[in-house]
Amino acid sequence: MSINLDFSHPWALLLLPLAALPLLWARSDTLLFSYLPWLPADPAGRIVGWLRSAFAVLAIASIVAGLAGPGRPQTQVARTGRGAEIVVLIDRSRSMDERMLPSNWRTIDPIVRTQQAWNRGPQKSKTARDLLSKFVAQRADDRFALMFFSAGPLPVVNFTQHDDVVLAGITAGGTGPGLSSTDVGRALIAAIAEFDLREYSGSRIVLLVSDGGAQLDPPTRKRIAAGLARNRIALYWLYLRSINSPSLDSQDPQSDAVAEIAMHHFFQSLSTPYHAYQAAEPKDLAQAVADVGRQQNLPLDYLERIPRRDYDRLCFGLGAFSCVMLLSFGAVQLRGWS
Amino acid sequence: MDTRQEFHYRIPSRVRGQRPGSHLGSSIGAGQEFVAHMSLYDRPDPRRLDLRASLRALTDEWLVRVNRQRAGVAVRAIVDVSASMNFGGQRPKLHVVADFIEALGLSAFRVGDAVGMMAFDTEERADLFVPARVSRGMGSIMAASLRDVAGVAQITGACDSATGLEGLEAAASHLAGQQGLIFIVSDFHWPLERLGAVLDLFAHASVVPVIVWDPAETEPPERNALASIRDAESGARRTLWLRPRLRQQWRRAVAQRRAELNASFATHAIRPFYVEGAFDGDALSRYFFEAEV
Repeated sequence: MSINLDFSHPWALLLLPLAALPLLWARSDTLLFSYLPWLPADPAGRIVGWLRSAFAVLAIASIVAGLAGPGRPQTQVARTGRGAEIVVLIDRSRSMDERMLPSNWRTIDPIVRTQQAWNRGPQKSKTARDLLSKFVAQRADDRFALMFFSAGPLPVVNFTQHDDVVLAGITAGGTGPGLSSTDVGRALIAAIAEFDLREYSGSRIVLLVSDGGAQLDPPTRKRIAAGLARNRIALYWLYLRSINSPSLDSQDPQSDAVAEIAMHHFFQSLSTPYHAYQAAEPKDLAQAVADVGRQQNLPLDYLERIPRRDYDRLCFGLGAFSCVMLLSFGAVQLRGWS
Repeated sequence: MDTRQEFHYRIPSRVRGQRPGSHLGSSIGAGQEFVAHMSLYDRPDPRRLDLRASLRALTDEWLVRVNRQRAGVAVRAIVDVSASMNFGGQRPKLHVVADFIEALGLSAFRVGDAVGMMAFDTEERADLFVPARVSRGMGSIMAASLRDVAGVAQITGACDSATGLEGLEAAASHLAGQQGLIFIVSDFHWPLERLGAVLDLFAHASVVPVIVWDPAETEPPERNALASIRDAESGARRTLWLRPRLRQQWRRAVAQRRAELNASFATHAIRPFYVEGAFDGDALSRYFFEAEV
């Protein structure tokens, strides 16, 4: 790898000749002696003296270099990844703060079930975050984009293969209580738009993690359907069911009045691949995540932008270290003959 | 505090010279030292007529006692005023030298000797030349001029280590072949190879090398420390890591130098006198009394 260096303030390098100052003859801290050849030759002392000058030069040089702001310029690197491009679209609405059913909910008396469900089960958003974190961590080859949504889409992380960024984003989703409303339509359109300017380099997935739906008006439906088809995106819906939520696979024709079921039906009517996973308890959710994980795996080529990296901290650290060394040399320095 | 000291000195050989003084002279005159009898006709000095010797003499003539007179000499100090002499832990070595010169002036005046001074560093220092004179104040004048020199910070540039000797050679050439007492006052921080040639020039004089060393030179600092040291003359730098082993080496180097100096003076039958830290007049007197006559 070639070493690319650039300086943000190259004019500061003009000060670099100052680093030669410690090498000059006239030094105030040297002791005068009448006749040097008399003194024993001291190789250890010579090395120490040499080190001291070196540290002095290094201290000035590194501070000057630090002032000049060295860094590796921003570059782009072509990478090849295997796996899918996945937009994780997580519901950030307040309902996600509610609890899932405890794992033994079927054995609980239906009369107290609601009460139990409010208090006992794990929080939906937390379970979802934990599982998604695990999912992201397992799939190192995939590239993820992370987007929360509520009344509008909240893009968090653009497509990247750096899982730690994604994981940090998912963790950050747990900060504070949920937001008020849920607009799945806008969020989906935004998620689809993430793919708009990208080359098709492998399978594409939008993973919608939500506990509810919304009624989509016809223009929105049209745009979603067109977008999914245009960008060839598969849609997976992790439906986090809480107590009293409708089941998606209801056959009742009047159930279209329920937003979730209407949305499910709409998604089913799409030409692009679609799969819904209903998860009522954490176990179901884990199952669903594992299921998605088994899906498409195709090689991907993409360009990654590597941001500029500053080396000035390194320089200043080196300068500080040199100064400390100089101070310690100074502490054991002989100041006078008597 | 009156730091003026005095010392007694003597010269092992007889000296020429008509000026009366305190040293054994080779000239004939009014002295106590009997040499021979001479005919009154050869030496018409009836005051010294020796009747007893004249009667006892086989030839029938008047004999006169002939005595040698004691003579005064010129005492000269050749002083090294190079940068290394300006060094000193407590005070510059040149101040110690000035003490010595002051004592010398006083001592020489007491016995009626003329005293003068020459100085050298890398070359002869004509500005510090003082001709040999008999005067009470000579010592103070010479000492004052030396103290003035010590006050001037002189950091000579890049000199090679052979310096010092050229100046001494130039100064010595003025005194070559003269009699008297010559003090060479220096720290002798230069190569000794050419010292023999200089001493040969003083073959007729009696030479006393006064080796002035500072305690900071001979005794390494007690503290374990890092010392960046600059040579006063060449400006070369060296860093020493003072530790017991180095101190041992340092002391060994001093002892070795002392032995070298002693050996190279011994080839000219000269014993050097060491001044370390402060001048001690009694020690110098002792030095002269110990000398073989």
